[in-house]
Amino acid sequence: MDPISQRHIEKGQTQLLMVIILCVVTIFLAIFALGQGSSTNLDIGTTMRIILGLESATDLQSDIIWKLRFPRILMAIIGGIALATAGALMQGCLGNPLVSPLTLGVASGAALGAAFAIVLGISIINIPELAIVANAFLFSLIVVAIIIQLGNLRSVTAESYILVGIAITFIAGAIVSTMQYFATDAQLSQLAHWSFGSLSRPDEIQVLYISIAVLWLMPTAMKWSWDLNALSVGGDEFAISTGVNPVETRRNILILSALMTSIVIAFTGLIGFVGLAAPHMSRLIIGNDFRKLIPCSAIFGAFLMLFADTLGRTLFAPIIIPVGIMLSIIGGPFFMYLLLAKRGGN
Amino acid sequence: MKEIIDVTNLNFSWGNNHVLKDLNLNLKENELVSIIGINGAGKSTLLKCLNRILKPDSGEISIFGKELSNVDLIELSKHISYVPQSIRSNFSMDVFDVVLLGRRPHIQWKIADEDRDKVSKTLRFLNLEEFAFRRFDQLSGGERQRVIIAKAVAQDPTLYLFDEPTSDLDLKNQIEIMKRIKELISNSESPKSALIAIHDINIAARFSDRILLLHEGEIIANGTPQEVLTTKNIAEVFNVTSEIVNMHPDYIRIVIKDEINENKKTGKTVIL
Repeated sequence: MDPISQRHIEKGQTQLLMVIILCVVTIFLAIFALGQGSSTNLDIGTTMRIILGLESATDLQSDIIWKLRFPRILMAIIGGIALATAGALMQGCLGNPLVSPLTLGVASGAALGAAFAIVLGISIINIPELAIVANAFLFSLIVVAIIIQLGNLRSVTAESYILVGIAITFIAGAIVSTMQYFATDAQLSQLAHWSFGSLSRPDEIQVLYISIAVLWLMPTAMKWSWDLNALSVGGDEFAISTGVNPVETRRNILILSALMTSIVIAFTGLIGFVGLAAPHMSRLIIGNDFRKLIPCSAIFGAFLMLFADTLGRTLFAPIIIPVGIMLSIIGGPFFMYLLLAKRGGN
Repeated sequence: MKEIIDVTNLNFSWGNNHVLKDLNLNLKENELVSIIGINGAGKSTLLKCLNRILKPDSGEISIFGKELSNVDLIELSKHISYVPQSIRSNFSMDVFDVVLLGRRPHIQWKIADEDRDKVSKTLRFLNLEEFAFRRFDQLSGGERQRVIIAKAVAQDPTLYLFDEPTSDLDLKNQIEIMKRIKELISNSESPKSALIAIHDINIAARFSDRILLLHEGEIIANGTPQEVLTTKNIAEVFNVTSEIVNMHPDYIRIVIKDEINENKKTGKTVIL
């Protein structure tokens, strides 16, 4: 084989190794997180022995591990995967590093839906536990529908999507503010809590459904890797000369990422930072090849969410700080450090 | 020789600006054809119409006898590669991976050893091997231009559409790249052709089999460099006086002398 080809293969293997290491670290973090909590008789050692089947668990211990901690940890992993993947896809197909899953207005749509349920008591479902989730999901789907409509226009550009997303964010924000203006204190507090973003809301069945939906969408995201490489590195004309239809591809990718985002934030509330930062952090270790960047971002997203949530649960225990807040507080400076260190290095 | 592309009565407008007017052209196997003309003559527009980046208002374009709009985009990219002057982006990759994108029409997901070797061979062919694992966005303009050309070569198309392939290159690399393009086109084992929009008429004169002179959306001259690059044609299109020098047995050179200033009142032509 040609030595240049050989070097390309070796470089790919090194990058794969880094992704595997990240994956292993995330798995260990998940196990560690399972052992963290306020229950005194379930320290990390006991939890490990119970998971590995070395020790039989009491009903209470089993419930704590599998019904309380496990859904939350799985939600952190799946939420991280979905939001980071959506972020990587959107940045790539819009050719813009500032884009995150919240840019297109999906999250603002969800917030508006939640506000309708909380403040006005209007929901599409009459079951109280699901009223907010159902509304948030429906309203974010309305935003997805707007994106589809926009994608059908003849000369829609990457900028059009971003600008329409910003417009939607402003409009939805204004309506939410109006509702807040007339809301009671209790409603205001509930709305504020929703916007923090928390992993404790969905129960184990919901987490299972969210996981199936997200993991089912992942292969489709991966399928577009080559197209995303052409689009993100060379722009529309370059992509066409490589056999990619930029308008169609961009529309499909945005619909997929908006769906992934909606599925998660309807249940968790607003979690923004991971979708912006995880793809950039992954880029620093793996480059911009989407065949590797998508899985790497997904794992990095899971890692960041787990890390932030575990810290949020343990730092001021028994007080739990919502993951959305923790992510921005811990992740923000770390993200800035990485970007600046990289610039300095160059 | 087989016909690769055939264009009949092609029209394209940007709003009210009628850029291409009933344009006809064809390209045969192993032909290197240059399009020359002033800025805004429609050179780039023509290339973009041929690669479906732009949709013409009317006219027919057929590639290998098939109507262009009926050909699937992936299929089309196996046959035609459009090479823009430059690409600008917020994201970057290793040079090897940018060139590897040329193999994208030929592969589904997995990169085969042959695809990698094709990229390595192309990098060597264009003297880019030392850049293989450098980031594309950290290269100079000229180096980047050569990488984009390498991507097109790795694509292994039948027809190359080059938009100013030498605009960012130094003198040595201009000649070097054109020689490489000529080498690709003259290879009779795999018939290829190139349509090149170019400003440097001396490079066009030296390397082209045929030159198309595009003026105000129409091809006003079509033939060998000697036939097209006459002092009269050059004066009419570029508004400059020139002298044709036969200093080499194989090709002509054009020396541009002065700008012509047409005195509208008297109708007299004044050389400044």
